[in-house]
Amino acid sequence: MEQLKEQLKQHIIEALSLEDITPADIDNEAPLFGDGLGLDSIDALEIILILEKHYGIHIANAADARPIFKSINTLAEFVSANKK
Amino acid sequence: MAYIGDSCVMTGLGLGTGVNYASMKAYKTGLKVTELPGLSEKPLPVQTIERKPRSRKLSRLEWMMKTCAADVISKSGTEASSERTGIIISTTKGNIGELGTGEPEDGSRVYLWNMAKNVAKALRVNTEPIVVSNACVSGVAALIVAQRLIRAGRYDDIIVIGGDEVTTFTTSGFLAFKSVSEKPCRPYDKERDGLSLGEAVAAVVVSNDKKKSRGTIIEGGGMSNDANHISGPSRTGEPLAEAIKQAMEEAQVGVDDIAFVNAHGTATVYNDEMESKAIALAGLGVKPVNSLKPYYGHTLGASGLLEAMIGVEELKEGKLLGTMGYETPGTPVEVNVSGKHREVSGSRFIKTASGFGGCNAAVVIAKESEAHRSSSIVPVVKPKRIARCRIEGGIVELNGKIEYDGRKDGEEPDFGTFVREIYHSQGDNNLKFFKMNDMCKLGYVAANYMMKGVEHGEYDMAIVMSNRSSSMDADLQHWRIVEKGEPASPAVFVYTLPNIVMGEMAIKHGIKGETIFIVDRKSGEQGREYAKVLLGSGKYGKVMNGWCDVVEGKYRFEAEIWSR
Repeated sequence: MEQLKEQLKQHIIEALSLEDITPADIDNEAPLFGDGLGLDSIDALEIILILEKHYGIHIANAADARPIFKSINTLAEFVSANKK
Repeated sequence: MAYIGDSCVMTGLGLGTGVNYASMKAYKTGLKVTELPGLSEKPLPVQTIERKPRSRKLSRLEWMMKTCAADVISKSGTEASSERTGIIISTTKGNIGELGTGEPEDGSRVYLWNMAKNVAKALRVNTEPIVVSNACVSGVAALIVAQRLIRAGRYDDIIVIGGDEVTTFTTSGFLAFKSVSEKPCRPYDKERDGLSLGEAVAAVVVSNDKKKSRGTIIEGGGMSNDANHISGPSRTGEPLAEAIKQAMEEAQVGVDDIAFVNAHGTATVYNDEMESKAIALAGLGVKPVNSLKPYYGHTLGASGLLEAMIGVEELKEGKLLGTMGYETPGTPVEVNVSGKHREVSGSRFIKTASGFGGCNAAVVIAKESEAHRSSSIVPVVKPKRIARCRIEGGIVELNGKIEYDGRKDGEEPDFGTFVREIYHSQGDNNLKFFKMNDMCKLGYVAANYMMKGVEHGEYDMAIVMSNRSSSMDADLQHWRIVEKGEPASPAVFVYTLPNIVMGEMAIKHGIKGETIFIVDRKSGEQGREYAKVLLGSGKYGKVMNGWCDVVEGKYRFEAEIWSR
């Protein structure tokens, strides 16, 4: 699980061009959107794309993804339960 | 006075404004469930034109534009080759279907100015085409630009043409944005879950000659920017409401004078939500509203013009077309929408549009018999310059002095390094900067320099930008992904519109006035002339105007802020 979290952070940093941020800077529990990393709706779509590309998980509706994208922890749980 | 003359539209419902309107009255839609191999697993409703181009010289889109415009020119008796006849072309992506994976050669018609030149030539129009590429408000913006140029006496007649095609390029992007519905779109309905895509061409002649009038005029226009987000619409609807209010103010009309509102109504959750708030904020909450997207889908750069021309027919007949598919109210503020056609009475309607880059536009179109006279605009010939910035060759020049020199031992830095250094030197702290594409990064740091110490009211400043290559840099990036058969990246696709750079500037500096992008083959002359007209209109105290272009690391920024 820890490895998966690390991997997700790497994918996010790369896909969202988060300059000057390392995986260590991203708190597993901190909110990804709004105050935490300050991600927005376009970033959410990019994360959906990460899930499709690297884990074979399809999310049709961006609104469904909101609870999943709360933090790295929730995201990692979802991925490990659903990856193909 | 900017009279609306003959119009012609080409869509999946047929050729001719009257033909289209008659089909719509019979509740016919152009949306057809279509297989989109490689793009979507399920077939999706799309509205396409089945005609084949009858030209070897022109592209399909150019031929369609020429066909509609030639009809308008001949019916209205406009002298196409006169130096007093202008041509405005409204499009988001033009001939983007012909884009390859490398930077196109100079003569390529993928460049919007080349496409415009081809259309103008085929129509024997001699004046330099004005290409308005302002995301989904392009069509309404083109009508507003035409009205202002007529009022400023720049032309006697202007042929306004709007057009965009359904292509893999755009469809893949909208799919990545998860904004396309699997069913025909249902604007304002509770069950709405996205837009449908479509293609169309529309043309009209706007003239100062009463004899060319076909009964209506463009009485007022207004544009604004949300200054909130580059793709998501405003959460309050206030900037669109402001654009509507400005259009009504210019038309010298009140709420009681408006018969109906033909809104954008894309049927995405957030767009319709925003519009419902804006319509109420503008005091038009009780007025009948419709969206024509269920008939045509979202026809992008054509939509504003196409829908305005259908709106003219609705106004003349006193019939408001139903928003097909609408059953249950589904917006936070209720909108007076009906799935069925309704009788309406009155002498004016409002057409609105909103798009990526945070832009909004609204026009008031009135029956000529009851229209107020609009004043003429005297362009400000020598506006006062309050800031000037040039970024080129590794050097930033601000107000005539070198502000930042990125050269090391006389060597020019590459663009990525250079723009990042500038950004860090400005002491700005905005994580979003690194997500921007190169064109936006350039405009962003330049605006940071220019806006230092410049005070402006929220709605008192406008931005008019130009370049040669539109969003070519982002277009190539997006196409290189999609062409390989990979899923499109939303963070790349969102930058495939040139006006996004102004959206980024607007967000950073709280600029909520008009933001408009005019693609120009060389000098930005068209944008400059328009900026002078804009200052002369008295709508804005300050206008930023200039050039911002980056293609594959080659860059140039040059702009000024003018004050009245």
